[in-house]
Amino acid sequence: MRERPGWAYLFLSPWVLGVLLLTLGPMAASLYLSFTDYDLFSTPNWVGLQNYRNLFTDDERFLTSVWVTVKYVLLSTPLKLAAALAVAVLLNRDSMAQGFYRSAFYAPSLLGASVAVALSWRVIFNAWVSNPSYSLLTLVALAVWQFGAPMVIFLAGLKQIPQELYDASSVDGAGAWRTFRSVTLPMLSPVIFFNLVLETIHAFQAFTGVFVISGGRGGPIDSTLFYTLYLYQKGFTEFRMGYASAMAWVLVLVVALITAVLFRTARAWVFYIGDER
Amino acid sequence: MQRALQQRALAAALAALLGFISACGSGTGDQNDANKQVTIRFDWWGNADRAEITEKAIDLFESKNPNIKVETSFAEFNAYFQKLATQIAGGGAPDMLQMDYRYVREYADRNVLAQLDSGAAKVDTSGVTQQLLSGGSVNGKLYGIPPTQNTQVFSYDFKQWETSAAAAPKDGWSWNDLKASAQKVTDSTQGKVKGLGDFGGIEDWFEVWLRQQGKNLYNEGKIAYTAADVAKWWEMTDGMRRSGAVTQAELTTKMDGSDANNPVTQKLASGGFGYDSGFTAKSWEIAGREFKLSPFPSDTGKLGQYAKPAMMFSISQRSEHKAEAAKLINFLINDPEAGKILGMSRGLPANAKVRDSVGGALTGPPLVAFQFEQMVGPKLEPAPPPPPKGAGTVKSTFQRIYDDVIFQRSTIQAAADKFMSEAQKAITS
Repeated sequence: MRERPGWAYLFLSPWVLGVLLLTLGPMAASLYLSFTDYDLFSTPNWVGLQNYRNLFTDDERFLTSVWVTVKYVLLSTPLKLAAALAVAVLLNRDSMAQGFYRSAFYAPSLLGASVAVALSWRVIFNAWVSNPSYSLLTLVALAVWQFGAPMVIFLAGLKQIPQELYDASSVDGAGAWRTFRSVTLPMLSPVIFFNLVLETIHAFQAFTGVFVISGGRGGPIDSTLFYTLYLYQKGFTEFRMGYASAMAWVLVLVVALITAVLFRTARAWVFYIGDER
Repeated sequence: MQRALQQRALAAALAALLGFISACGSGTGDQNDANKQVTIRFDWWGNADRAEITEKAIDLFESKNPNIKVETSFAEFNAYFQKLATQIAGGGAPDMLQMDYRYVREYADRNVLAQLDSGAAKVDTSGVTQQLLSGGSVNGKLYGIPPTQNTQVFSYDFKQWETSAAAAPKDGWSWNDLKASAQKVTDSTQGKVKGLGDFGGIEDWFEVWLRQQGKNLYNEGKIAYTAADVAKWWEMTDGMRRSGAVTQAELTTKMDGSDANNPVTQKLASGGFGYDSGFTAKSWEIAGREFKLSPFPSDTGKLGQYAKPAMMFSISQRSEHKAEAAKLINFLINDPEAGKILGMSRGLPANAKVRDSVGGALTGPPLVAFQFEQMVGPKLEPAPPPPPKGAGTVKSTFQRIYDDVIFQRSTIQAAADKFMSEAQKAITS
């Protein structure tokens, strides 16, 4: 068996080609372009670190977009996870209508990336969307409403918690809240961690909703100028693709850093069965 | 033996995959035989109204040129240009495209448009006035042919104005007259209908106002006005917002050129500035009422309006069917039958002969636009040369920073200074 690697490579090849051509290739290209003045049409010229320097020293809107995005991530991620967990706990019991409710709550996430939902959101929240004090909150609400994906993962996690633990806690006389805090939360912590990492990354990358709702402008007065939206504006409406590429790489680094920090903190609060703690 | 077979199978599979991938990338590269069936793509911006008429004209073209098939697609202005940039960068540009006066230099300078006064894409432009053609010329070469001209216009719901006892625009009316009439509409409807949509953030109308004072947006590729000019303009429009003569900030910030977000179409305002090419057959049906047209107000005796190429037709430098695309342009601008179908749907035809034949067949909004062009035509100045690279960004920056003013996030002077520094950056970088 061991001396027949040929077939293995053959079966791997669609994946390898996909990664090389559709992921690593474009990433390498964008890394290169981030050091150039590429304008979409002409041959790029090397400009060294100038794009990166300009981002931090000569671009007020860049800083605005960072601030807007940070606010959005900090608001939408915890709220969305809390909503997902709350609904998952409510749905984690056997009842006739459970299947129906699960689908009903999951549906918004399926529709979430779609333009249609963002359009109807714009109509429903018409008065708030164009008010700079509330515009970002309507986008947070849109994100929270789409809690279906983490909810389904929470549900799966809840089903994994051994019934003995609940039996034991009820024998010990623990109430519902105490059981939730001392049994459910710790047992679920790996799943919470997984959802937290995933949703944080998603929140940084949010684009469709704000693009549709603000008509691609991030207004009013840049109150919804998400990082990705500003990146898009630079690349595709101002033709400054080199600059946009630099922005993309700054985002990659920041998201990587934040994920690393989350993994760091995980040691303190994520509990795995079999851990010596 | 077994091993060799495996290697051959592997090689074959990889080759097939690679072949598949390269086939995806290269597209169709057929030759230009005279009788060979050719498909060209024509993308443009506009609305459904214009689409219906355009398709009719293209059907006629296809029946006269059975070997050419034309695929079209259209979108609203902003979406159109975002898509176009991506398509061109990705090597998938349409053969023939609609180009805007504001972007023609941006694209021509980057060598993505074909030259139209010589070579494979040469088009007969003898019927088009030189003044209009110069709008599509960059460094002495022709990259865009305007099929039509338009000009800036003020339009208002005259029945509402009568009801509100607002004085109608007349020859030589001033910006103060405009303000007074707009205020009347707002007051008489208790603010339910504002006099006008707030026009302070639209660079196009600022330009007319500048020209009335003998200034320009650009001069030899540089911004030709100052922060003081911007501040003065915004002082005027912001004053109208404070008094209620124009729409409030929450409505204004949504204005994006679409009917859905236009306060006039929504019956939340009774008039505003625009281009007369916007008066397509169904435009009044969409707005639910009729409008009258007037030249801009002015305080200097100078009108400031100009005959603008409403749009241009261009051909992609990388098109493999330049001759066919040129044929289509030629048909759309010079053919009298096509002219009759197209009417005023893209503005007043640029070809003088076609123009004369169009007038009689018009009714409704296009007729009113046609009559307006006839009336104002002699007073129009020639269009300034195409604006420099970055002009599109300056226009969107102008509107974005005006939001700072109407939401009262900064003083007018500070907003004007901020705008100038961003605009300078957009033009030079």
